[in-house]
Amino acid sequence: MLAGCSGDRSILDPAGQAAREVAWLWWGMLAFSTLVLVVITALWLYAFRGGRPTERSSRDEKRIARRWIIGGGLLLPGLSIVVLLAFGVPVGQRMLPLPLPDGQQAERIEVIGHQWWWEVRYPDAEGGEVVTSNQLMMPVGEPVDFHVTGADVIHAFWIPRLGGKIDMIPGRTNVIRLEADVAGVFGAQCAEFCGAQHTNMQLHVEAMPRDDFDAWLAERQAPPEHSDDHQAARDTFVEHCASCHRVAGVSDGQQGPDLSDIGDRVSLGAGRLAMEEGAIGYWLRHHQQLKPGNRMPSHDHLDAETLDDLGAWLETLSP
Amino acid sequence: MSDTAQTATPQDPQRLHEDMHEVWGNPRGLKALTIVNHTTLGLRFMVTGMVFFLIGGILAMLVRTQLAFPDQEFMSPEIYNQVFTMHGTVMMFLFAIPMLEGLAIYMIPKMIGARDLVCPRLTSLGYWCYLFGGIILTSSLFLEMAPDSGWFMYTPLSSGEFAPGPGSDFWLLGITFVEISALSAGVELVVSILRTRTRGMSLDKMPLFAWYILAMALMIVVGFPPLILASIMLELERAVGMPFFEVAAGGDPILWQHLFWLFGHPEVYIIFLPAAGIVSTLIPVFAGRPIVGYRWVVVAIIVTGFISFGLWVHHMFTVGIPQLAQAFFSAASMLVAVPTAIQVFVWLATLWLGRPVMKLPMLWVLGFLIIFVCGGLTGVMLALVPFNWQVHDTHFVVAHMHYVLVGGMLFPLMAGLYYWLPLFSGRMPSERLGRWGFWLTFIGFNATFLIMHWTGLLGMPRRIYTYETVMGWDIFNLLSSIGGFVMSAGIAMVLLDIALHFRFGRPAPQNPWNADTLEWTTSMPPSAYNFASLPRVDSRHPLWDDPELPRTIAEGRHDLAVIDHGRRELWGSDPLTGKVREIIHLPGNSWWPLFASLALAVVCVCLLVRLYPLAGFATLVAVGFLLRWSWENGAHPKAAPDAQVQPGDPPLHSRTMDGPGLWAMSIALLANGSFFLSYLFGWFYLWTVSPQWSMPDTSPLSLPLMVLAGVALTAGTLWLEKLVRGLRRQDDRGLAPGLFAVTALGGAQLALLIWVIWQAGLEATETAHDAVLLLGLIYVLLHGALGTILTLLQGLRVGYGYVSAEAPFEPAVVARLWRYNLVVFWVVVFALAAMPMWLGGGA
Repeated sequence: MLAGCSGDRSILDPAGQAAREVAWLWWGMLAFSTLVLVVITALWLYAFRGGRPTERSSRDEKRIARRWIIGGGLLLPGLSIVVLLAFGVPVGQRMLPLPLPDGQQAERIEVIGHQWWWEVRYPDAEGGEVVTSNQLMMPVGEPVDFHVTGADVIHAFWIPRLGGKIDMIPGRTNVIRLEADVAGVFGAQCAEFCGAQHTNMQLHVEAMPRDDFDAWLAERQAPPEHSDDHQAARDTFVEHCASCHRVAGVSDGQQGPDLSDIGDRVSLGAGRLAMEEGAIGYWLRHHQQLKPGNRMPSHDHLDAETLDDLGAWLETLSP
Repeated sequence: MSDTAQTATPQDPQRLHEDMHEVWGNPRGLKALTIVNHTTLGLRFMVTGMVFFLIGGILAMLVRTQLAFPDQEFMSPEIYNQVFTMHGTVMMFLFAIPMLEGLAIYMIPKMIGARDLVCPRLTSLGYWCYLFGGIILTSSLFLEMAPDSGWFMYTPLSSGEFAPGPGSDFWLLGITFVEISALSAGVELVVSILRTRTRGMSLDKMPLFAWYILAMALMIVVGFPPLILASIMLELERAVGMPFFEVAAGGDPILWQHLFWLFGHPEVYIIFLPAAGIVSTLIPVFAGRPIVGYRWVVVAIIVTGFISFGLWVHHMFTVGIPQLAQAFFSAASMLVAVPTAIQVFVWLATLWLGRPVMKLPMLWVLGFLIIFVCGGLTGVMLALVPFNWQVHDTHFVVAHMHYVLVGGMLFPLMAGLYYWLPLFSGRMPSERLGRWGFWLTFIGFNATFLIMHWTGLLGMPRRIYTYETVMGWDIFNLLSSIGGFVMSAGIAMVLLDIALHFRFGRPAPQNPWNADTLEWTTSMPPSAYNFASLPRVDSRHPLWDDPELPRTIAEGRHDLAVIDHGRRELWGSDPLTGKVREIIHLPGNSWWPLFASLALAVVCVCLLVRLYPLAGFATLVAVGFLLRWSWENGAHPKAAPDAQVQPGDPPLHSRTMDGPGLWAMSIALLANGSFFLSYLFGWFYLWTVSPQWSMPDTSPLSLPLMVLAGVALTAGTLWLEKLVRGLRRQDDRGLAPGLFAVTALGGAQLALLIWVIWQAGLEATETAHDAVLLLGLIYVLLHGALGTILTLLQGLRVGYGYVSAEAPFEPAVVARLWRYNLVVFWVVVFALAAMPMWLGGGA
């Protein structure tokens, strides 16, 4: 059965304390609920069987009825609720982003939901803020506070294998604390319906040891190097793309995803297309078929060669 | 035995039927559009509801087809979003609620021994609003511009910026239009149940079904106005740019969520309670014994009704609201399991102590029990906040909610339809086809949704239009889709069975299930007047006490068997004891409800296509029709041809001070009060919580002018009350001049209010603060205008002789509106003008 529970976004395949406790809650509740359902159904079916003594005094009837109503209607749900809260409330308490003991500081990562991509910011990175999109790297084995908000509509931030979700609401910042116990890659996806491409709003989450994480941040401090081979593509970019996209050292557009480290990512279009050689060129030519309705205008006025060159340059952008 | 209640000698039933039919019978041909009879309209509601059910079902099958395989391209994302939005919307607003209302409209008068609902023309208006609103809303599907923001229409996704097309407008306007129907049904069901029960049917002798419907109707009355307010606000934001939900202008999208779920959670119980009422009606009949714990059930109903208004935040646990509030709503959400469990065990105990037989309707009840208990258990799980954070907005929730709604509504509804079919048609359904239909539906349903819990736990979010194989959801989605089609086959078989039985079913005997309630004493199918004479009721089981009732009723041996006066009469009884107080005479068939709702449909369409001047004109026409309709009421000769009653009978209600209209006004004002409280909630919510709320340091409203307007209103109200007190003493001196003077005071209040608005210079499209103020001022302005116009009409009616010491009823009804306006106005002065002045601006 455990094999059936696995999956990179399975609640029942936890990779963090919060998710693990919820998974246990689920198994406990499932067992108890199954018992209740089976017993109630059995009692009902039994009530349809004949052959019971039917001549009862009305006082007996009242007594039997009251026993059922008080036992099943008051005690059963009452006790179940008490037990459930006794197990559940502490679990909820432990998930809150309360101050950590002995002055420890949780890593702070900002995640901003856009239609339909993720902006991820590391404001406390040593050497200055690091910005990336559609991928989220986090240190393993320590609490991380995610400060989330929405740039346009309401989205929801959710890494199922790590723990519960929280809405990303324009004008508000919500905080959720998650911790990964094991290093690895986890699936994540927007969980609040956010419009035409809600489906293709996936987030690549990777938990790694602290040292690797710091190195990952550090290598993003310097702008990517640009070889002169791609000067034409850079010019195309500056002319057509720069007003929306940022590439460190080249442009500062804020409408679309930051592309400074795009060559280093695993997918395009927030999980729509796997990253491989030539993928960006293909994406630029077909993104409105691949992800209909996405906010990037189509580039039909540029010829395929120009787009492929542009893609080839972008693929070099890697720290 | 209730022989003592039979007062008259038997008449010839056929002759009596013809005489009754003369007054109550339905016209044919084009004039069938004027019918106001509850039996006919209840059937129309149910048939229309079934059509929308099929539309919603087809949409569900489209969804399941799209999700059957990974990476499917059966539908484009845009269409898929429209389809799932409309599936939820149609099932909730155009099927579940109207269907149950239809059943209640059909059944309630028959169960409480009345000849019709107490506001028959309102029934008709409600039906037309439902039909036209439903057509307008579903037409968007065929125009491919259906709403696509999900059935709960969260802003800002549904706002003008992110949903620029007319889709959201279709939803907001269409649903609000349909809600007129829900509210009118709610109002008249409450008044009918409280005031028109037959002689002797005290509250504790009322069939449980009527208790459930009473609770449902009151919940509609209180629960729907928050959504109507929210819809009006969002439509104003979209149409004219009043930024109620826009963060940058000081609004807050979360306000929409609060108002929506303030409606949306009670809505679940609005759907569940009547269905549970069906179960509580059927189980004693098929167990062959009275229900045990009648009082337990009544208490459970009332407790459910109250708790259901304290649960709405459990739809919003991931919004990030304060922990304490989450804890409160979590516990409250679990507590609602208690009254539900009480009912489940009352039913069990009744079966246990009876001799139950497993007929077709009981099969559906059993299916209901298993599915609903399962849905209830997952509901308790979802109430636990940490678990909710994980599965919220996944397919686990989709599965849970279908277990609750299909299990809690569709299965009991099917049980009820099979149970009452002989009443509708006079024929019995086929046991065999019906069992096939049940098992296919039951198995198909569980195959679809039991598996879907698992899909959700594996992390599949709601409302995505496709998924990839790597996610590991393929097989579960395929099984769910297959289950969905099996369920559809089951539903098709049930509908086929029902359709066929009208032709091939064997004729039903009188009271075929040996039931205990009054609806089985009518002819099958029932006549337009239900009962040729109104029986007296001395217990909860009149038909078990006296199986001869159908015959003695038809022979006119009970009350109100005289018809030569040509009035449609029924008892007006005491709300608690069921003692007879007056004779209520009902208005007959009329074009006005149809005309009024047609005009409202024009308003709706004009707003959709943004022809605002024409919409304004059509609104005036609609109001004109409604006022013209009201003119024929009360002591108007068309409403009560002559005021003579049989010796010994109580007076006509229009000649008393306490008719059903007064009650209907009170219940309508309850709805209105809920609307106003929701508005106040919105004002204080934005003031205290909205992230970028800004408020000027001094209120733009002139407090002195507001107070002056309030003084005019207060003087008018006091004067009107004085006139009503006079009428109560049979004194109508100075009535007409007094009413005109009150009208003038109303006019003065309006003029002052308009001055306030003009002088405030509100920039309602710039800040949420000004938009909310303007909305509140318009609200009191419209209410003042309504009170003034109605008072003016009263003054005119005195001249025509429709209002006098002999017919003193109507001014008391109008006075109630004035009193409401008075309270609301001073609250507005306090909350909108005085409080900001004391507390200062700045949030």
